[in-house]
Amino acid sequence: MLPLLSIAVFLPLLGALVLMVLPRKTSGLVHGVSITTTGLTFLVTLIIWNRGIEPGTFAQIEEISWIPAIGAAYRLGIDGLSLPLILLTSLLFFLSSIYSARVSERPAVYVVLMLMLETASIGTFAALDALLFYVFFEVSLVSMYFMIVGWGYEDRQRAALMFFLYTLLGSLPLLLAILGMFLGSDPYTFDMRTWIDTPPLSGLAAMLALIAMVFTFAVKTPVFPVHTWLPAAHVQAPTVGSVILAGVMLKFGTYGLVRFALQMTPDAFRDAGYVILAFGVFSALYGAFVALAQTDLKKLIAYTSVNHMGYVVMGVAVAALTLDPKIRTVALDGATLQMISHGLVTGALFFLVGMLQDRAHTRDMGEFGGLLKVVPILGWAFVISAFASLGLPGLAHFPAEFQIFLATLSTSPWAIAAILAIVVTAGLYLRAISRVFMGEAGEKWLSMPDLDRRELLVIGPLLILIVVVGVAPSWVLDMIHTTMAALKF
Amino acid sequence: MSSISILLLAPFLTAALIFILRRMSGFLAVFGVAISLVVALDLLAASFDGAPFVQLILPGLPDMPLRLLVTPLTSIFSALVALVATFVVLYAISYMRNDPEKPRFFGTLLLFVTAMQALVLAGDWITLLAAWELIGFSSYLLIGFWHDRPGVAGAATRAFLYTRTADLGLYIGIFILIGAARSSDISETLAITGPTATLAGILLLIAAIGKSAQMPLYDWLQRAMAGPTPVSALLHSATLVAAGAILLIRSAPMLSPETLFVIGIIGGVTAVLTGMMALAEKDLKRMLAASTSSQYGLMLLAIGAGAPVAALLHLVAHAVIKSSLFLGAGVFQHDRDSTELANLEGAGRVRPLIYAGFAISALALAGLPPLSGFFSKDAIIAASLEASGALWLVPLALAATVLTGAYMARALRLLWAGASERLPTVSVGWMGAGITVLVILAGVLGGFFPAMEELLDVPLPVSPLAMGLGLAAAFSGLILGWRVPVATLLGPVRSWAQDGFAIAGGFDILVLRPVMAISAVCERFDRVLYECILGIGKFNLRLGRGSRKSDEQGIDAAIFGFVQSTIDAGGRVRRLQSGFIHRELAVTTIGIAVIIVILIAAPLYF
Repeated sequence: MLPLLSIAVFLPLLGALVLMVLPRKTSGLVHGVSITTTGLTFLVTLIIWNRGIEPGTFAQIEEISWIPAIGAAYRLGIDGLSLPLILLTSLLFFLSSIYSARVSERPAVYVVLMLMLETASIGTFAALDALLFYVFFEVSLVSMYFMIVGWGYEDRQRAALMFFLYTLLGSLPLLLAILGMFLGSDPYTFDMRTWIDTPPLSGLAAMLALIAMVFTFAVKTPVFPVHTWLPAAHVQAPTVGSVILAGVMLKFGTYGLVRFALQMTPDAFRDAGYVILAFGVFSALYGAFVALAQTDLKKLIAYTSVNHMGYVVMGVAVAALTLDPKIRTVALDGATLQMISHGLVTGALFFLVGMLQDRAHTRDMGEFGGLLKVVPILGWAFVISAFASLGLPGLAHFPAEFQIFLATLSTSPWAIAAILAIVVTAGLYLRAISRVFMGEAGEKWLSMPDLDRRELLVIGPLLILIVVVGVAPSWVLDMIHTTMAALKF
Repeated sequence: MSSISILLLAPFLTAALIFILRRMSGFLAVFGVAISLVVALDLLAASFDGAPFVQLILPGLPDMPLRLLVTPLTSIFSALVALVATFVVLYAISYMRNDPEKPRFFGTLLLFVTAMQALVLAGDWITLLAAWELIGFSSYLLIGFWHDRPGVAGAATRAFLYTRTADLGLYIGIFILIGAARSSDISETLAITGPTATLAGILLLIAAIGKSAQMPLYDWLQRAMAGPTPVSALLHSATLVAAGAILLIRSAPMLSPETLFVIGIIGGVTAVLTGMMALAEKDLKRMLAASTSSQYGLMLLAIGAGAPVAALLHLVAHAVIKSSLFLGAGVFQHDRDSTELANLEGAGRVRPLIYAGFAISALALAGLPPLSGFFSKDAIIAASLEASGALWLVPLALAATVLTGAYMARALRLLWAGASERLPTVSVGWMGAGITVLVILAGVLGGFFPAMEELLDVPLPVSPLAMGLGLAAAFSGLILGWRVPVATLLGPVRSWAQDGFAIAGGFDILVLRPVMAISAVCERFDRVLYECILGIGKFNLRLGRGSRKSDEQGIDAAIFGFVQSTIDAGGRVRRLQSGFIHRELAVTTIGIAVIIVILIAAPLYF
């Protein structure tokens, strides 16, 4: 049996190494290698999906002893939480490498950074050893920093530095928590499965570990008030950087919230549940309101990410608070599906805004107008993605948000106030559509070219998936539900 | 089960075909809706024959499958939607004859029809909610069809936002119902009673207020008239706005007396206020839109009076009547390139057949026998007489009936009066066909009402008093509208009515400004947070510089100072090595003496 998880994790890195030893790094060859590598990785993850998962435990485990003296091993495995995220990651990276074919400035370095990032991302989701998780978690920051600094926009130096230092500093409490749980486990081990089956800490120690972990994941998700690095990083990052940052890296935070905070310190999470729920609700509302005030399209979408991730935090908090296992399953199903939907929808939105910026060299809503007649494919793709983001039924976010709100109302009725954010989000997207795409087209935009074949190849699969997840979410929900229904704490 | 699939797939697949082929979109569209019409009528006939309920179950969320259900009630709605849709699409072939984007129009219209059918056939709340939002989305796309014209984007946005806000009521109401009944099946949730039912009922009412353009959310319907007239005829008179009333009719078994009273009052007040607005309107389509709100107000009044079947009959009658009125208005619009009543003076005289159809429908709406509107109005007034809140409901119902006659008569007068210039007329083509069928239905549908009552197995309220009052109100309204100018009828209220009874500047001031203000505050706070983080960074840089200074000026200085003093000390000590023999001898002697003293003294002390 081939160790497919390890192959999926390290294949991009192998591609990067191959690229580094190539003598003549022409743009065509570089992008060819990148598309091939990410495509193969995507195929491998599809085969992993086909192999399946089991309820109640992790599947497809691959284990090699690493540092036996402290119980750290190279352990990979998947379940219904990490498998959809891994699939999302490999898909987004594959589409990103197709999109990146237009990068002609130092393409080899760019592609190497991107492939490194893919290894780190898949590794984060697949890791079953806390130390291994932390390594992958932190390495991803390095790649993203250099991508922003090297290929970003006007204020990239400051944005990249703030992104790196903020999230690095934010990750330190996680390290403390991991060490705390290591010391609490008997015998000493970093095995996440052991920590989940028998939580190593209790009482005050567990609460402190929880606070540390929630702080880290709050910075990563991001949750108000530690979210300010996100808009700056998103606006200054190159298009692919924004797509990966929003589509994949924000999920590290929410994944960690479920995997570490919820599953390893469940009692402490329940005690702190109302506080976390309140932060989630406020974050959702705040993100929507600030997005409403934006005129920069990328910043607008960045703040809607804060809003969507607020719903995920609400779902996880409700799952911890509720005593009814059925409601808990609904909440976690919804939270996980929301992560996937957000990756698809916000990924599509950032691609589209990137395509628009490539053509117009501006992101300001006020400069546009009437583009639906000039670039209809781009325009209608944006309309569909925007309506998906505001939660229209039949498109990706609706099933997830429905489940989250249903569970919330059944558990903590006051938290349903967050549903107001749905209307604010609708308002801000409709305003953006009306300003950018409707009305009279300005003189300077009349010659704007519509999406070419490469860009269609990138946005098409995302739009199809957005509709499929919205209309028939069961093919994603089945694997999520398998794990969430069997959770016991 | 397969009938339901065909009913939904026919318009949906036709829409997909139109978007792909982009040719012959009009005829493909008619074909698609005609198929679904045949199936719908077949299902209705089967219901009449007493066939068992037909169901279609699809996978949805875990433990909450999607359900589509054909019952006598839902089959009536389904047939109605298919009927109006078929003839409006037929009409639209000629109306949109010269438009370059016909495929997008017909495709979106068919997507709307699919969603609307899914809504009326919904057997579980998730399907209903999804269809509810999707008809709102299609409405946005259709109102905004001519999106490069000024004002259109704003109208579409406003319509969507008003209804989306009201839909929060539907969301929360559904969550409460599902939570209480532990199931998403509509029929299971209708068994809920008590305060939960009252709360859920009020929330569903809020959603219905949005969708059916009731008080205070009627402004969006006025502005939605910026869309093409077939859209106004199909969506904004017969189907989409009917969704609110349909929701309340279907959930009627669950609604508590308190909720019903509120529904009745809101319906009644809306009927009167929007009736006055219709009377004061200067634009034909906007007048018809206000009239639509008014008629749906009457339907809500009927539901509130405890007779949802009366509301159902009026819904059916109003759907064919109002859509035919809109289609007629569309013909006049094509002639004069405008819908303002000032520009349409005499438009009816030039097209006597269309005007005759328009007049028949107008009289049907006013409630003259033997046209369909008479029977349904009669039922509503009878129901209000029997209701517990009759004191409030009867005057409102009668006032609304008078106003209906008044504004319809005024419209008829304005369309007929004026100079009789013979303008060259263009053939109406399919528009005429569409209008004719709907007008005929408006006339004769009353004959089907007894069969419908029998199908639903619910008695209809009848009373001679109601018939008398209704006829009196209708006639007086018609005469007032035909003879008396509006300024006299409305008096001081006229300008306020023309403004849509806006209070304190309307929603733009009351809702939009505070929301944008909150948004601006949040944005400023975010900037402050960002500056704080940068401030932390600057503080740390200052710490770094401070520690470099303490390194350089503190520690390094101390060490170099120490080095310097050592060198200085060495310099001073060096002078001991003078090279002068007398000094050397002195130092040696003193040294030896000190040593001798120490050697002698030491054993005495240690």
